[in-house]
Amino acid sequence: MKGTELNLEDLEGFFKGLLEKNVVDALIMPHRVGNKVSYMLVRDKSKVVKPESVIFAPSFGVNAGNIVKGWMIDEKVGIVAKPCEIRAAIELIKLKQLNEQSVLLITVDCAGAYKNEVYAAHYAEIGDQVDSAKLKELEGKGILIREACAICEHRLADIGDIAIARVAGKVVVAGLTEMGEAALSAVGLPLEDKTKVLERKDEKERIVAEARQQLEKLPKIPSLEDLETFLGDCILCKNCRDVCPVCYCKECFFDQPLGRPVGGDLLNLAELRGAIEVPANQLLYHLTRVYHVCTTCVACGACEDACPKGIPLTRFYPVLAQKVQEIFAYLPGKDAKEPLPFTTYEEEELEECLR
Amino acid sequence: MGEAKQVFEPKIVGFTCNWCTYAGADLAGTSRKKYPPNIRIIRLMCSGRLDPMFVLKALLGGADGVFIGGCHPGECHYIKGNFYARRRIAALRTILKQFGLENRVRSEWISASEGDKFARTMKDMAEEIKKLGPIPMREKIV
Repeated sequence: MKGTELNLEDLEGFFKGLLEKNVVDALIMPHRVGNKVSYMLVRDKSKVVKPESVIFAPSFGVNAGNIVKGWMIDEKVGIVAKPCEIRAAIELIKLKQLNEQSVLLITVDCAGAYKNEVYAAHYAEIGDQVDSAKLKELEGKGILIREACAICEHRLADIGDIAIARVAGKVVVAGLTEMGEAALSAVGLPLEDKTKVLERKDEKERIVAEARQQLEKLPKIPSLEDLETFLGDCILCKNCRDVCPVCYCKECFFDQPLGRPVGGDLLNLAELRGAIEVPANQLLYHLTRVYHVCTTCVACGACEDACPKGIPLTRFYPVLAQKVQEIFAYLPGKDAKEPLPFTTYEEEELEECLR
Repeated sequence: MGEAKQVFEPKIVGFTCNWCTYAGADLAGTSRKKYPPNIRIIRLMCSGRLDPMFVLKALLGGADGVFIGGCHPGECHYIKGNFYARRRIAALRTILKQFGLENRVRSEWISASEGDKFARTMKDMAEEIKKLGPIPMREKIV
């Protein structure tokens, strides 16, 4: 992949240019609010202030994909976000929850992120951006990145329409699709004299190796009894569903009478079994949900962050989803043109998985 | 004490396609093939109608095993329903495998003329589930 090398400070002009030249009608991008980082929907270019100090901030609050879920708009919105968020947006395009022509996906490099509250609390030590050496140093102080980030293999910006990569104190901006290249040329890029080839094979390999090591270290849930213990504190608030970028049913089964048994239904069941746990359906809810997202889960870990009971859901959703994605050799969010595994088939396949 | 231990009789829920396995089961019956009475059949119009949630609901709701019967690949009455079903079942079993439950869900392609295969499959499956025993935490989970 080829891109233009820019100074960090040039990014402000780049984002302003996108709005000025009407490449996009609005930008969803991170903004700093005190120590905190949150997303803002920007239409006025004067509101783009020092983006270089915030777009690489290692803070994860909400998945930007979830913000645009179901936005079937005619305008065009640019989304500046981490790889997992852009991958979620690409999955939403495939799920027809997002119009491919109405988003310009701008991926930024991510080194791993902290929960947004951790980031805000330790902003003085963490700073505007981190690299792997800095992460190690902070780990020594007991400031840990999110579990989902620790096991993430896809931290380098290499998907979406435009990638913004960090290379040795500078950034490289590269167009990855026709739409991305058109957007870049509208703002006067690429600059011939600053063209740089971006091949980060070694870095990619290092990240994958580290992530696999971390995945090995995660506690496993080997049986139904363990799963029941693991989910024991679940209060069925369904926050994990609401913040999940790829969980998109308009009417969730678990909001309907069959999925939320009450009164007589439960009394009958209790009569049959002697006693039942209430609120009911914990296991059914989570097992159904993991099946529903198993091919599209981008392993962003938003479910874990949203759980009010602090259940480490990263050990459940992304880990199980990855096993399913392996049998279909499918990586969610890699390519908007690739069909979803459940919408296609081969005539001869998978027989070994059936019995 | 001293009483004979009650024999475990597994409950198996079977989801069968109207055009093949259901007719296969019918054939097994009319040709008087013997097979264990553990299965309770639910007829679907196609194995592609099977929402994997049915399987989860059955397992958590008291079934010890789930059987899914569809047409042989390429012989679906609706052209490709069983191809989609195959992907869904494979994904579901991959998830269940993490909890050691994958052997409780089994699918088989059985045509309307294979009454013998149906009876044989039922026998195999009943024996296997008997060996596995009741689904864990049967009293507890919903």
